[in-house]
Amino acid sequence: MKLARLSRSLLRSATVVALALTATACATNPGDSGAKDAAYQVNDPLEGANRVVFAVNDAVDTVALRPAAEVYVAVLPDPVRDVIHNFIDNLMAPLYIANNLLQGNVDGATNATGRFLTNTILGAGGIADVASQAGIPNAQEDFGQTLAVWGVGEGPYLVLPLLGPSNLRDAAGYGVDTVGDPVRIWAYAHNGQGLMYTRAGVSAVDRRSEVLKSVDDLRRNSLDFYATVRSLYHQQREAAIANNQGAQPEFPDFTNNSAGNSAGAPPASTPKP
Amino acid sequence: MLTRRHFVASVALLAVSGWAGHTFISPAAAQSADQGASAFIQKLGNDAIATFSDKSLSRDQAIQRFRTLLYAGFDVPYIGRWVLGRYWNSANEAQRAEYQKLFEQLIVNTYAERFVEYSGETFKITGVTPAGEADSMVTTQIVRPNGPPVNVSWRVRKGAADYKIIDVVVENVSMGVTQRQEFASVIEQNNGRVDGLIQALRQKVGRTG
Repeated sequence: MKLARLSRSLLRSATVVALALTATACATNPGDSGAKDAAYQVNDPLEGANRVVFAVNDAVDTVALRPAAEVYVAVLPDPVRDVIHNFIDNLMAPLYIANNLLQGNVDGATNATGRFLTNTILGAGGIADVASQAGIPNAQEDFGQTLAVWGVGEGPYLVLPLLGPSNLRDAAGYGVDTVGDPVRIWAYAHNGQGLMYTRAGVSAVDRRSEVLKSVDDLRRNSLDFYATVRSLYHQQREAAIANNQGAQPEFPDFTNNSAGNSAGAPPASTPKP
Repeated sequence: MLTRRHFVASVALLAVSGWAGHTFISPAAAQSADQGASAFIQKLGNDAIATFSDKSLSRDQAIQRFRTLLYAGFDVPYIGRWVLGRYWNSANEAQRAEYQKLFEQLIVNTYAERFVEYSGETFKITGVTPAGEADSMVTTQIVRPNGPPVNVSWRVRKGAADYKIIDVVVENVSMGVTQRQEFASVIEQNNGRVDGLIQALRQKVGRTG
């Protein structure tokens, strides 16, 4: 996952794409007027290639990441894992603040700043998430969301090597976030690349460990795991961009001309919306 | 990307691990219909907790009771048809009938296990808002013994006789939309044939037990 931070060339190209995208931002129409069909229309022209990368990621997960996460959970008690998680997240706070500001979300920026100060000072350098206990919500705003707020459409769905599900816009956003990442800036200024690798590895294992059972369930119950993850990613991103005020699909009334509640199949005709 | 916590939370949803407990109704939009929907969810949740807290049930009994609760609370045929989306129109009677049967089995296989393994989760209703033309969205928070709470919304439609759930939204992810997109993908990979999906469902349902 965040192991992809290892791949500097990938990040460089992502950054270039980011700049190109920003330049065309005003020409892109954010409106999704086909909302009725949106519930099953997916923008995945590169599906063939994406499925290959997805399979490779899945294999890496099976042989490396998932076992590592299992060991992590088995060896470290809950409180220690919380400390690690909080510490890593707190160091990303300057990015959340910046992205809130870029989105013109003053309340969000105020919250993020409050979280950062609270957790850094009262939370002993970020190891305790005091802010969440005090009721300040953690909204992880990234540059992909910022681009969306600026009107950039999501573009085609992409599965990135090691990073997983994304799309053209979010991949570009990830490149920008990486360039602005305070830890990275500090590490490169102090010859601390080792620190970057460590954080990337620990962060990937940390996040994977939170969803061990869930992902197992998901994989077992899916007819098409790739399509399920693609759908989850899209819905999650839409909600994050709209700050949980996302549009809802339509649920038409099928009962007009059919026995919709009987277990048998209703007759052929469908009510037209 | 895959690593974001939002995604994490949404996946955690799919392990919707049971509901339970505390009564805490704060009607945000206090309309009488909404109150009814909220009371319906409260009762259904209480019933589910009462049922699955009883660890003296055999596995088969518990699964049977899950099926009963499923039909009491959910409009399963509606959900099945909605999930099939536009492909419903291209399916013939026999295909629709078999699809609906397999869909119901898939739901039971997927979720029964989680309820049978109930381990002390509780829920509280956090609000009710109107949705669409005639539905209510009842938002709840499921509090788990381990791990952060999960936000789950229930889209409830009032039928002629009673309320039924027609969609479940976990951490902003609609189960209906997810399944619809998954099924559409399976059908597209089978050159648009609904039979391809039915075949995949048969295999999935057949080997789970």
